[in-house]
Amino acid sequence: MSASRRRLGTLLARPQVRFGAIVLIPSMLWYAVFVVIPALQTIQISLLNYHLLDPQHSTFVGLDNFAQLIANPLFPIAVVNTIVWTVLALVVIIPISLVLAQCLVIVRRGRNVYQAVIFLPVVVSLVAVALIFRILMDPEVGLFNKLLAGVGLLPSSWLSASSTALPVLLGIASWKTIGVIVVILTAGMLNIPSEIYEAARVDGANGVQLFRRITIPLLGHTLALVTVLLTIGSLQEFTLPTVVTQGGPGNATFLYNMLIYQEAFVNLRFDTASAAALLQFVVILIASAMWLRLLRPKWSY
Amino acid sequence: MTTTSSRELARRKREPEGVLRAVRFGAAAIPHLVLFFACFLAVAPFIWSFFGSFKTFKELISSADLLPHTWTLANYVEIITRAHFLDAFANSLIVSGAVTIASLFTSSTLGYVFAKYRFRGKELLFGLVLSTMMIPFVVLLVPLYLTMAKIGLVDQLGGVVVVGLWTSLGVFMMRQFIEGIPSELIDAARIDGASEWQVYLRMIVPLIKAPMAALGVLVFLGSWDNFLWPSAILHSADKQTLPLLLYGLRSLYWSRYDLWSAGSMLTVIPVMIVYVFGSKYFIRGFAMTGLKG
Repeated sequence: MSASRRRLGTLLARPQVRFGAIVLIPSMLWYAVFVVIPALQTIQISLLNYHLLDPQHSTFVGLDNFAQLIANPLFPIAVVNTIVWTVLALVVIIPISLVLAQCLVIVRRGRNVYQAVIFLPVVVSLVAVALIFRILMDPEVGLFNKLLAGVGLLPSSWLSASSTALPVLLGIASWKTIGVIVVILTAGMLNIPSEIYEAARVDGANGVQLFRRITIPLLGHTLALVTVLLTIGSLQEFTLPTVVTQGGPGNATFLYNMLIYQEAFVNLRFDTASAAALLQFVVILIASAMWLRLLRPKWSY
Repeated sequence: MTTTSSRELARRKREPEGVLRAVRFGAAAIPHLVLFFACFLAVAPFIWSFFGSFKTFKELISSADLLPHTWTLANYVEIITRAHFLDAFANSLIVSGAVTIASLFTSSTLGYVFAKYRFRGKELLFGLVLSTMMIPFVVLLVPLYLTMAKIGLVDQLGGVVVVGLWTSLGVFMMRQFIEGIPSELIDAARIDGASEWQVYLRMIVPLIKAPMAALGVLVFLGSWDNFLWPSAILHSADKQTLPLLLYGLRSLYWSRYDLWSAGSMLTVIPVMIVYVFGSKYFIRGFAMTGLKG
């Protein structure tokens, strides 16, 4: 006993062991308390009929919470909206970002300035941006409709009609996100060795061919990464629809994470909220794995 | 005769070349035009909103002119004096500052240990830290709330800070950069009698200053903008962070677009000022998150 304590004592006297212990022990405690145990608790709560006021007497109900979740009339709405949201995000953001990144690669002069300005929306507060666009898109007094009227077009209802709200909201999300995607794609494009382009140009390839036959295939890794990042982010979108439309009009912009939040903190159903969150996790894992498989680059350099 | 014909020939030769040059110049201008248009779209809403925040409510909703006819500071005065704005600003600064400083320290020390120490189970622990990056925050939402209730941090700024003390992405990034530092350098310092804290403070930190700055910007902005977790645990008016206060304006001052503009501008302008001076670090930070794959 005293021998082992003495051994521990000499071990801790070694400076690296002491530094390592001072760093590692609090870190692992934090990870245990704030990540690992909560994650396991979510699994546990999702299988219980959770009594908020008397957690000790919660009863095991198996997969009942998942069944209740799926039976919730808001569930299919949230799922469909979130899928449409994610697909739209990929379809809108990636092509525009590719074009902008290609332009940045071509121009050289002024590249940093252009990039810094295009990146600006990324760094500013999303809630502030949400308010700014709400003002611009007010159907009665907003600037956008005044501009439309100015060029003789009919006013749009923007965020206040259920048919237009989701795509318009996605426009705001794209405006906010494109800067990051452009920066990542530009870095990826600048990494492609210029010899390849020179060789192709000698063989008589034009600009469009260079883009289609060299840039896109050799951008494989970066493109896969951007697709996965956007998919994960879009599936978890919460702040923008909450702040701008609160899911409306008539649930048109009600996304899946809002359902989780509503179950947990409005309906105080911690059990179905946990079930919904776990389902979200599984879907994200499957979607990421699917993209990484589908987009596995065929070419490398 | 011969001279004119040769001049004629030369002109004919030059003409298509001139056209070609014009076409080439036009083609070279296209990317600039595209980028210029993108830049315009990126800043126009801010410019409009900036001038809008100095307009009276009546002018803001009636006129489409960019500049205010009558400049007024009333919106700013009203939002600062009536809406707990200064409280929220201070709260945001405290939370984001604390989270940034803490996570820079935890990321760099833990990154140092994972990069340069050898002990049993290191790979396992590091793998564990990395794998937590895949967990969406909503998965932790309910148990974290219950934990906060248990330790009395609901409706406390500390409840927001404590969840942000460590960041797995930061640990990963710092480990990557510290791995690039030659171990011989560190051993030499140790032989010269430097303690581990001295090695960390005098050698490691100066060598990873740039990535630490980028990480700091990333963490600060993430925290400054954080909405989901603060809205779950902060309820009192004097405990709100800026995003919560701005969100509250929607119901508190329904359609008071003048106040919304002023509030947005007060939230956006400090970040923009810092961005003008350090955009390099902002962009690098975000690019690093993308380059991890």
